[in-house]
Amino acid sequence: MELKNKKLSEESFFQERKEVLTHWVTGKDVDLQEAVDYLKQIPKHKNFALKMRKAKADGITLAQPRAGVALVDEHIKLLQYLQNEGGADLLPNTIDSYTRQNRYQEGQAAIDESMRENRSMLNGFPVVNHGVHNCRKVLDAVELPLQARHGTPDARLLTEIIHAGGWTSNEGGGISYNIPYAKSISLEKTIRHWQYCDRVTGLYEEMGVEINREPFGPLTGTLVPPSMSNAVAIIEGLLAAEQGVKNLTLGYGQCGNLTQDVAAIRALEEQATEYFKEYGYEIDLTTVLHQWMGGFPADEAKSFGVISWGAATAALAGATKVIVKTPHEAMGIPTMEANAQGIRSTKQTLNLLKGQRLSISKDLGMEKELIKAETKCILDKVFELGNGDLAVGAVKAFETGVMDIPFAPSNYNAGKILPARDNNGAVRYLEFGNIPMNKEIKDFNNQLLAERAKLEGREVSFQMVVDDIYAVGKGTLVGRPEIK
Amino acid sequence: MMKTNIVLGVIGADCHAVGNKVLDYAFTQGGFEVINIGVLSAQEDFINAAIETNAAAILVSSLYGHGEMDCRGLREKCEEAGLKDILLYAGGNLVVGKQDFDSVKERFEKMGFDRVYAPGTSPDAGIADLKTDLAEAEEMAHYKQDFKKVS
Repeated sequence: MELKNKKLSEESFFQERKEVLTHWVTGKDVDLQEAVDYLKQIPKHKNFALKMRKAKADGITLAQPRAGVALVDEHIKLLQYLQNEGGADLLPNTIDSYTRQNRYQEGQAAIDESMRENRSMLNGFPVVNHGVHNCRKVLDAVELPLQARHGTPDARLLTEIIHAGGWTSNEGGGISYNIPYAKSISLEKTIRHWQYCDRVTGLYEEMGVEINREPFGPLTGTLVPPSMSNAVAIIEGLLAAEQGVKNLTLGYGQCGNLTQDVAAIRALEEQATEYFKEYGYEIDLTTVLHQWMGGFPADEAKSFGVISWGAATAALAGATKVIVKTPHEAMGIPTMEANAQGIRSTKQTLNLLKGQRLSISKDLGMEKELIKAETKCILDKVFELGNGDLAVGAVKAFETGVMDIPFAPSNYNAGKILPARDNNGAVRYLEFGNIPMNKEIKDFNNQLLAERAKLEGREVSFQMVVDDIYAVGKGTLVGRPEIK
Repeated sequence: MMKTNIVLGVIGADCHAVGNKVLDYAFTQGGFEVINIGVLSAQEDFINAAIETNAAAILVSSLYGHGEMDCRGLREKCEEAGLKDILLYAGGNLVVGKQDFDSVKERFEKMGFDRVYAPGTSPDAGIADLKTDLAEAEEMAHYKQDFKKVS
């Protein structure tokens, strides 16, 4: 089928749906009308879309952890702990990596082994294996809205199951859950799959149930220049809106320089609003900042420093939500106690900064305009490549390296661009690859990195990039050469 | 001198690509010919790449916690495929949760891995170990040859 940025027709959607629901045995339990009736009677405080809208109106930043384990009862225990001891405002269901790759058979084997061994063998909740009734069991056991957070290129069945199960938010997108999460699945395919997911959300909206959608902002989570992630977020937002999504949260991963991070969140919100208006979509728009997604210090006390800095950035930027890291980040999946500590540390910082915003300054204004100008260079070319069709344009943009995400595993990503920090720790483009920035922008990026190279007495090189990747883990933002 | 071939990749359903690209860069700088099969790689992909390139070592990364399940049986499969003395290294966040590293190391050594690395290990440590292990293997090969001549 030809890919187009156009709302899926009822006929083709329901035909596809019949097949999607056969991908695993639990698909047979999804009944759209029954699910709508069920969702209409769940208490309002458990609806994700409503809670996001209220937080924005109240001008507060909500804290949400990541969490998920293999077995239902253990998962409930974990979420209740994060709600009661951590003070989370929103709850996640992080989905395991086998489910993300649609490997439900392997998921089942791991569920069985988790039961035998009495420890979770999975890095998340295998929601497709557990099915609709277990999603509802989880929702019944908590007092907060639930979201699925994953990294699934083909999340069609997962989306059907979670929403029928009462979870009112879904993270992901055709670009953001492909390029950083897959190796050999074409972008054409995943954009099409996510049109399906967005259409499911759109159907619920049309049937009177509000569902929140969140494209995954941080991408590879490693030195992604803000304009590249903002371009992806705006494209995925527009693609979702076309399928009928109304309540949308656009995301960004903290880079570490406060001015740049605040500028990025505000540029994202303002620019997305302009595009939605231009293309005639009415969207309830909110934002999310992800605390530092790169390598963490192994020392737990140092990790709290990184966590709090992310919380402060989210508050000062005015993000509607912040995704929380834990002091076990360097070691992998955290214990529930460590996870709750991350939330408490975040909430303390958010509460201290409640009502405070970083006010506009010359630096902040300039940075915001730079990010918007860079983003526009990318988006203009994407529209041009697609002859006005955003879905086609996005596929072609990745083919030609007009869009390019650093350190992404996908074969469909050019991998020609390189990022590095300037002397103030802001992330700049070191190699532009095929990104169509104008000369002024290129010169400015080059100049900032040349200044850094001069200060460090070395050439601008890949070693600089490697040093930046490990810097936060070692205790600094900029990866300076070691003084011998 | 011919460079030594080594196979590098991230095993299982794991898509963590950043460390993989850094290891590729570091081991190449360290003088090895790196055959990088990338993320989301099955055991068979590692073995096929090792056979095709006559590699001296397989370096397995796992960041997402399923490493224990994904790495089981790799040594046995290598032997079945005729890769008798190939060095097997593993590193990353190999298991779910913060577990005592010594017990993780022991579990992986039992599975037949020659070296097991804790999270946050510098690539330099792996490069140094690989050079030591390869030199030892070479010495052993010479010794075996000499032994044949004598007997």
